[in-house]
Amino acid sequence: MRHQLTRTATVLIAIASTLAATSCAAGSSTAVTSKGSGDANQTLTVGLAAEPASLDFTKTDGAAIPQVLLYNVYDGLVKLNNSGEITPDLATAWKVSTDRLTYTFDLVKDAKFSNGQTFSAEDAAFSINRVKTDWTISLKKSMDVVKEVKVVSPTQLQVTLSKPSNNWLYSMTSRVGAMFSKTGVANLATAPIGTGPYTLKNWNRGDSITLQRNDSYWGKKPFFQTVNFKYFKDPTALNNALLTGTINVIGTVQAPESLAQFTNNPKYDVIQGTSNGEVVLSFNNSKAPFTDKRVRQAVRYAIDHKALMDTCWAGRGTLIGSMVPPTDPWYEDLTGLYPYDLAKAKSLLQEAGKTGVTLRLRVPNLPYAVSCGQVVKSQLEQAGFKVQLDQLEFPAAWLTTVFTNADYDMSIISHVEPRDIGTVFGSPSYYTRYNNPAFQQALTAADQGTQAQQLVEMKKAARLLSEDAAADWLFLQPNLMVADKGITGLPKNAIAESFDLSPLARA
Amino acid sequence: MSSQDNVAVQPPTDSRASRRLNPSLVVGAVIVLFVVLTALVSFVWTPYDPTNIDATQRLLGPSATHWFGTDKFGRDVLSQILMGSRTTLFVGFVAVGVAAVIGVPFGILAAMAPRRPGELLMRGNDLLLAFPALLLAIMFSAVYGASTLTAMIAIGIATVPSFARVIRSGALQVMGTEYVLAARSAGRRPFAIGLRHVLPNVSSLIIVQASVSFAIAVLAEAALSFLGFGTPPPTPSWGRMLQESQEMLFVAPRLAVFPGLAIALVVLGFNLLGDGLRDRFDPKLEDRR
Amino acid sequence: MTLRLIERIAVLAASLAVSSILVFGFMSVLPGDPARVALGVNASDQSVASLRAEFGLDRPLVSQYFSWVGGLLRLHLGDSYISRAPIGPQIADRLQVTLWLVITSMVIAVLIAVPIGSLMAVWHRRISGLVLSAASQVGVAIPAFLAGILLITVFAVHLGWLPANGWTPPAQNPAMFLKQLALPALSLGLVQAAVLTRYVRSSVLDVLREDYMRTARAKGLRPMPALLRHGLRNASVPVVTVLGLQLATLLIGAVVVERVFVIPGLGSLLLDGVSSRDLNLVQDVVMFLVVAVLLVNFVVDLLYVVIDPRMRAGGR
Repeated sequence: MRHQLTRTATVLIAIASTLAATSCAAGSSTAVTSKGSGDANQTLTVGLAAEPASLDFTKTDGAAIPQVLLYNVYDGLVKLNNSGEITPDLATAWKVSTDRLTYTFDLVKDAKFSNGQTFSAEDAAFSINRVKTDWTISLKKSMDVVKEVKVVSPTQLQVTLSKPSNNWLYSMTSRVGAMFSKTGVANLATAPIGTGPYTLKNWNRGDSITLQRNDSYWGKKPFFQTVNFKYFKDPTALNNALLTGTINVIGTVQAPESLAQFTNNPKYDVIQGTSNGEVVLSFNNSKAPFTDKRVRQAVRYAIDHKALMDTCWAGRGTLIGSMVPPTDPWYEDLTGLYPYDLAKAKSLLQEAGKTGVTLRLRVPNLPYAVSCGQVVKSQLEQAGFKVQLDQLEFPAAWLTTVFTNADYDMSIISHVEPRDIGTVFGSPSYYTRYNNPAFQQALTAADQGTQAQQLVEMKKAARLLSEDAAADWLFLQPNLMVADKGITGLPKNAIAESFDLSPLARA
Repeated sequence: MSSQDNVAVQPPTDSRASRRLNPSLVVGAVIVLFVVLTALVSFVWTPYDPTNIDATQRLLGPSATHWFGTDKFGRDVLSQILMGSRTTLFVGFVAVGVAAVIGVPFGILAAMAPRRPGELLMRGNDLLLAFPALLLAIMFSAVYGASTLTAMIAIGIATVPSFARVIRSGALQVMGTEYVLAARSAGRRPFAIGLRHVLPNVSSLIIVQASVSFAIAVLAEAALSFLGFGTPPPTPSWGRMLQESQEMLFVAPRLAVFPGLAIALVVLGFNLLGDGLRDRFDPKLEDRR
Repeated sequence: MTLRLIERIAVLAASLAVSSILVFGFMSVLPGDPARVALGVNASDQSVASLRAEFGLDRPLVSQYFSWVGGLLRLHLGDSYISRAPIGPQIADRLQVTLWLVITSMVIAVLIAVPIGSLMAVWHRRISGLVLSAASQVGVAIPAFLAGILLITVFAVHLGWLPANGWTPPAQNPAMFLKQLALPALSLGLVQAAVLTRYVRSSVLDVLREDYMRTARAKGLRPMPALLRHGLRNASVPVVTVLGLQLATLLIGAVVVERVFVIPGLGSLLLDGVSSRDLNLVQDVVMFLVVAVLLVNFVVDLLYVVIDPRMRAGGR
């Protein structure tokens, strides 16, 4: 009988030691997950929530990829600074022809890609042309307006548009404007090659991405030698990581209620500004009952936006009345168009004969959507609606059901791309199914007109959208970050798609 | 959830202990009755409507008007706990029901079958062990959407193997008794034997197993809701309350305490009840493997 | 004996085959097009179609099944649809992490359960025994993730003794590895310990009640050495059984703890794969888990045949 114990013990020990041996051997191949090599002072670790699925943003959608790579690993011809202005990057200067169709860019002379190749106008032309031919994400549409790209000299590039477009130069500051090496696009999903101030050191899938400073960068060298982006699914884990020193910055707070532990703490700075993320309560405009404007209006009047934001997002955020954040030049405060008025909501609903109508509110299972969905349901039911709240797995189920098949009445999702008012509401085939010719005309006029005209027309478009109740805007997601005291350069408002590392430093 | 799972084959308990009304049985029964009563009462009355969102009443501490305080939506916590007991019990009953309805006949069948086929059936049973409740629940909710129903069915199916095993064990013993041997030699049909002789004699095993599996089902549901695969909002669910409380851990840790205690209480109750019942029933029916 | 062995192996093979069909079948029923998810929200139908062709998703199901199984048998696990990275190394990396967590928690559980269970048995008529028994009942009733949250709140946030989350491979920084392993392993281990103590208690009780023990006590001899030898030996069988059964479930069940402590383990790999419809990855991970469970059961069964001569006689 003694054998029994010894035998089982032996087996267990054998298993344990094999495990130890294999882990030690393999452990050397897995990557840095702690703060990284080098002087701790020169290392920054940023905690984020959504991990990129791949490193190739030309073929994979999702804001997480340009967040890490744009401006850090890849440069564009132009970039957005922390105040939202278009500033030179790989293009030192540019001229626009009087007919606003031709842009001539002067390029830097000494920029090198991380594969050793020098950046020239040929790479720029290659990158721009590639968008139409090789990119598969929908944002590639921004390059459709480009008619011709000409390499005037290794340091001068000429781009001719088929019609004047105010949006084009702006879109060049986003991911579609990233500059690729003509010999460096073989493995974009795992090996991005750019001219930026950082290069990719390691990607430990499911855990972190590590960037290393490019010491032969052509521009101003950034402060931090090593930057780790660490990904956390659980908001509490993200908070705890900052508290225990595992990270230095929470790049995006997912649980605003928990900020209480940081706000009065002298060790940390809480940064709150605006972002591009409009949390939209979208309506399926092509299906009853939302084909009736009165019903849409009733929904908008029935929602007490301030109470909603206070309840489901701890009051952190900005109330907006249309699809435009305060950082856009044509922003107007349109929240007064549909103030909270329960009586009016009820009467409009009655007038439309739809009291008691059931609405399917199908939300993705993201924290803000699930949270705010419950408040929306509660508020709408007070006005006489019946709301059926469904949670759909994000991304897969939500994309199929709501986005592709438009099998929904209402949904809640944050649209984070900059200046996406046209994408979301300008095309009747988009999931919002909104078709308003006057609105579409205003957008076109804004794009093709002068800058002054753009201002006027965009304001008109935003107002049209709101008055027509194409959707409701619950609030604008805040740019909410918490950082160790002493970290400087974090932007107050999140304007670009990138988590720009160059302005960051530690005091 | 992980470790308590599938260990529904409980250790043989001390058969010398007082078999009648031992403390386990009493305490367990009291707790279970209390929870059942709570659930029943919640159909008729709760202090407040648990889904009533009121922005002016957010995050209140326990007081005379709100005994357990309110959550971040202004909803009364006590009412949520009361109504949540419904979900918990419902999940437990259906999961155990599914497991029993499938597992008991299967176990009896495997015991009554000749040795080789019987063992083969048990092998099939063991195959199911490879699909833990969590895995099944994730896959079901990916296809059908997360809901109480998918959680219950997934947990139920995952609990079938332990039922089947225990019942088969017990049934084998019953098959060896004189009654059954006599019935078989008298030529009674197997179905009748199964129904008339085996089933009643394993009924105590079923009850004990049901009680223990109930506890496991409650824990499983809590874990699933915590991960987001359980009851979706706004229906109150203790597991989801725990998940929602995480955000508030610094502001209002009590929001984790109440649902946590509730879950622990129900699990404790059913475990004690199961142990007590096992002590009370014939200890010869202890399982050895 | 050899015939039984062959029979067992045949059953194992059949189980594996049936499981693979179940898993594959289930995956093909999942709604949500992986190509569309990979390409994102605004992809054109044409690019979705060409990506589906690239993944082989447009071939008939049976053909897809066989090429998948063929790949498995050659240990070619393929590349993930979403990240285009090879799946095999991902599973290997994550598996190590989860195994460290799970096995450490089992060791903790045994280290706690054996002494306490024995004490509970020895004291089973005393108040202290009852107290321990009640404590173990409460321990079983607490979900592992709740234990984790409580441990983090006390030890990491308030006391600052241990990190709240994260994971470092042991070869890289052994000290940090141990510190980060402590709380998650404890969360899993404490709860398991509660379950195990009751088995230990009953096995040791059995031994205590045996005649020679009573005789020894009556003679005034100290029960401890015999108790230790016989009791522990007796307890080891159910303990090993339970642990063997648990390993399988723990591999997946640890996901909740992995979520709370942000540990990149197998469970989280699976969850992420499901939510991003990374069909390939999910299929392989699930199949891996099923194979692991079946193999572990197979080995445990064999061990029993070897260990316990009563089993060999053929009864069950």
